[in-house]
Amino acid sequence: MNAKIRDMIVTNFLAIAAGLILSGLMLLLLKINPIPVFKEALTTIITDKYTLGDVFLKATPLIFTALSFAFAFKANLFNIGAQGQFYMGSIVAIAVSLQLQGKVPTIVLLMIVFALTMVAGGLIGAFIGFLKAHYNANEFLVSMMSTYVVLALMNYLLRTFLKESKGEYPQTDALTRDAWIPNLLDGTRLHVGFIVAILVAIGVWILLYKTPLGYRIRAVGSNASAAEMSGIPSKKIYIITFFISGALAGMAGFTEVNGVQHMLIQDFNSGIGSAGLGIAILANANPIGIIFASILFGALNVIGNLMGRMPGVNVPASIVDLMQGFVMIFVIVSYFFRSYLENRREKLKLQKKAVGE
Amino acid sequence: MEAPYFELRNVSKYFARVVANKDISFSIGHGEVVALLGENGAGKSTVMKILYGLYKADEGQIFMEGKEQKINSPKDAMALGISMIQQHFSLVPAHTVTENIILGNVHGKIDYEACKKTVKNLAQQYGFDIPVDAKVSDLAVGVQQKVEILKALYLDAKLLIMDEPTAVLTPQESEKLMEFVKNYTKKGNSVIFITHKLKEVMEVADRIVVMRNGILCGNLNSKETNEIELARKMIGKDIVPAERKKEDTKQEKEVKLKVNRILVQKKGELPILHDISFDIKAGEIFGIAGVSGNGQDELCEVISGARKVTEGEILLNDEDITKLSIQERIEKGMGYVPVDRHRDAMIMNMTLSENMMLKTSFNKKWKKHGLIDKTKLDAYTKKAIEDYMIKAPGPDAEAKGLSGGNQQKVILAREVDNGKELLILNQPTRGLDLGAINNIHTAVLEERNKGKSVLLVSTELTEIFDLCDRIAVIYKGGFMGIYNHDELTTGKIGLLMAGYVREGEV
Repeated sequence: MNAKIRDMIVTNFLAIAAGLILSGLMLLLLKINPIPVFKEALTTIITDKYTLGDVFLKATPLIFTALSFAFAFKANLFNIGAQGQFYMGSIVAIAVSLQLQGKVPTIVLLMIVFALTMVAGGLIGAFIGFLKAHYNANEFLVSMMSTYVVLALMNYLLRTFLKESKGEYPQTDALTRDAWIPNLLDGTRLHVGFIVAILVAIGVWILLYKTPLGYRIRAVGSNASAAEMSGIPSKKIYIITFFISGALAGMAGFTEVNGVQHMLIQDFNSGIGSAGLGIAILANANPIGIIFASILFGALNVIGNLMGRMPGVNVPASIVDLMQGFVMIFVIVSYFFRSYLENRREKLKLQKKAVGE
Repeated sequence: MEAPYFELRNVSKYFARVVANKDISFSIGHGEVVALLGENGAGKSTVMKILYGLYKADEGQIFMEGKEQKINSPKDAMALGISMIQQHFSLVPAHTVTENIILGNVHGKIDYEACKKTVKNLAQQYGFDIPVDAKVSDLAVGVQQKVEILKALYLDAKLLIMDEPTAVLTPQESEKLMEFVKNYTKKGNSVIFITHKLKEVMEVADRIVVMRNGILCGNLNSKETNEIELARKMIGKDIVPAERKKEDTKQEKEVKLKVNRILVQKKGELPILHDISFDIKAGEIFGIAGVSGNGQDELCEVISGARKVTEGEILLNDEDITKLSIQERIEKGMGYVPVDRHRDAMIMNMTLSENMMLKTSFNKKWKKHGLIDKTKLDAYTKKAIEDYMIKAPGPDAEAKGLSGGNQQKVILAREVDNGKELLILNQPTRGLDLGAINNIHTAVLEERNKGKSVLLVSTELTEIFDLCDRIAVIYKGGFMGIYNHDELTTGKIGLLMAGYVREGEV
C-alpha cells in the first residue's frame, strides 16, 4: 500500500483513539470507570437504529459548515462566519416555510426554501467578499463579526415578527408536516437532507477540481499574483468564492429547520460553525474527506449525549466538548506528524540512493 | 605543510527530495581567491550557507587552521571572520549608510560622528566612494553592494563569501569590484566567489572549484585550465551555441507591435517610464538591454496589461489595445514570460497540465459539458513536454517538483502557444544553466523565423547580442537609443547602460 495513505489511516485512527483514551482518563478523575461507559455507549450506537440514525443526522449540518470553510480556504480566504450564514439561512427557511406551508406542494416548498437559504447565506458571504475585494478588509475579522450581527438580527426577529402565536417564548411556531423534509429511514430521525449534504459535497468537489471556475478559484488561492498576471480577476473570484461559501453554510439552515427542529429557537445549534471549521481542517479541506470527518464528529456528539444520559453514572454533558476537543487536537498533531514522517522518508530514500551509487 | 585557512571535509546536506551537497571537500588558503563555479541548482549557495552557519550540514566537518569548528549560526561564522554577501542584500533601505554598517554592533548611546569617521576611513582604505550620510534607498545597486562589503569589512572579515556579486552590476562596476577583490586579498584576506560566469572566474580566481548536481567535480588551478574545460566540467557535456540565421533585413515586414510615447508616473513621483516609443516587425526580435531595475519589468507589465499607462498608446496589428484587460490581450495573441516565474507565472502546487491552462482558463477549447476536458489538456501538455524536452514524469506532475530550467520551459511552451502574434520575454534565462539557456534560445529563434514578433528583455549582454535584431538600451525609465544589431559593442552598450550619452554627443 502507498506509504502516504497508510500513514494517513494509521495516524488518524491513533489520533481518534488517543483522544478517546484521554477523555476516558478525565472520567477517571471524576471517579467514573470509563470502560463500561464507553462500552455501553458504543453498543447502543451499533445496535440501536434510532441512535445510529442520529449519528448521520448530526453529521448533516456539519458537512455544510465544513464545506463552507473548506471552499473559501481553497481560495486562501478564511470564512469564520459560517455560523452567521447558517443563522441567516435558518431565518429565511422558517419565514418562508411558515408563509408557504399548506399553500404549495411539499416538494415545491422544499425546493424554494432550499434555493432561498442558499441565496440568504450566499449574500452574507458575498458582502464579506465584496469588502475584502474592494476595501481590502480583513475577511477573517469581518466574517467572524458578521455572525454576531446575524445573531442579533435573529434574536430581534424571534421577539417580534417571527414570535410564536402564543407569544410566550422567543421562538417561532412549529412547522406543519407539509414543510418537513421527508424521512429517510423509518424509526429514526434521519431525513433526506443527509443525502443532499453528500450530493452537495460531491458537487463541491467537482466544482473545485473539474470546472474552469474551480480551477480559477484554486489558482487565486495558491498564487494570487500569478493568477492576476494571467488575466484571472482575483477580486471577482473573492466575491464568487465567498458567495458560494456562504451559500453552503446557508443550506444547513434548510436541513436543520425543515429537517430536524421544525421551528426556530434561540441559541439554535450554536456550535456547528466552529465545529465545521475543525472538521474542514481535519479533512484537509477535501470535500469528500469532510463527509467522513463530519460523520466522526456526529458520532462523538451522539456518544457524548448517550454518556450524559446514562442511568446510574453521573457523566457531565460537557464531556462531549471535551472529547471533540481532544480528538481535534490529536488529529491536528497527527497532521504535522505525517509531514514529518514523509520528510524523513524522502530524506532516507536520498541517503540510501547516494550510498548505493 | 601549513594548514589551510578554512577547510571543508565531506560535507553533505539533504533537503527533503533533493541531495543539495554530497561529500564536498575543499579548502581555501590565506590570500586566495576561490571561485565556486556551477550551474544554478548545483549546490554552490547551499555549501556556502553551511560555511556561513545559515544551514546545518547533515554530515561532514569544517576546519579552521587545522582545528575543527562548529558553526551553528552566522554569528559564530562572523566570530571566525567569515562574512557572506547574499545575492539579495540585507540592508535597511530607510536607514543611512553608516546606520546600516554599524547595525547590530553598537550598544548604548551611539556616537554617530565617531562611527561615521570609522566608516569613512574604511571606505577610503579600499578606494570606495560612498556618501556615508545618504539613505540606502537613494543609492544605485552597485553602491549598495559596496555598502554590504563595507559592512563585512567593518566586522573585520577575513573571508568574504560573495554570492553572484556581478549579477546586478554594469560591466564597468564589475571591473571595479574585481579590483577590490585583488586589493583585498593582497592583504592576506580570502574571497570565495559564487558564480556561473566563466569569464569572471578566469579573470579573478586563483583556484576554481566546480560543482555539478551537488557533487564536487573539479578543483583546478586557474592558470592550468581554460574556459572550454570549465564549461565541460560544469555542464558535463559540450555546448553548441544556438545559430542565429542571418536574414536580409532590407525586406520590409509589417509592424506588429507599436508603442507610442508611453509615460508611467505616479502622482508627485519621478516617472517610472517616460517617452518610450518603438515598434516590432513580424519576424523580429527586439531587445531591451539595461541594468535591472531601470523600468524593464514595468514596460513588460504595461504591454501585457498588468499595469496602466499614464499617457501613450499601444497598438497590436494596428488596433489600439491600451485599454484592454490582460485577458483580452491574451486572446489577441500575446504571450508573456514575466521575470519572476515563481510569483507571476506558475502555480507551484498545481500540476503541469493545470499550469498549461493558467492563461486560457476562460477559453472554450478546454471545456467539455461544462467541465475541464482533461484528456485534451493532458495531450496538449504531453506534446509540450516532448517538444521542449522538459524533464518531467508527466502532465500530472506538480510544478514544484521540476528544476528551474524545466519550469521555465513549461512557461515558455505555454506562452509561445498563447503568443500567436507577440511574445514578451523578460529575462527568460535568468538563473538557468547553460544547457537550458541553449534550449530556450533555440526555441525563441525558431519562433522568430516563423514570423512572430519577440520583445526580449535581458541583463545578459551575450543574450542580447546573440538573439536580437534591434536593441534598445533602457536607463532610468527612458530609452538611451535604439540600435541595429551590428551598431553596438560591449563597451558602448556598457556606457549606455550606465546612463552615459552616446559618444559624439558628449
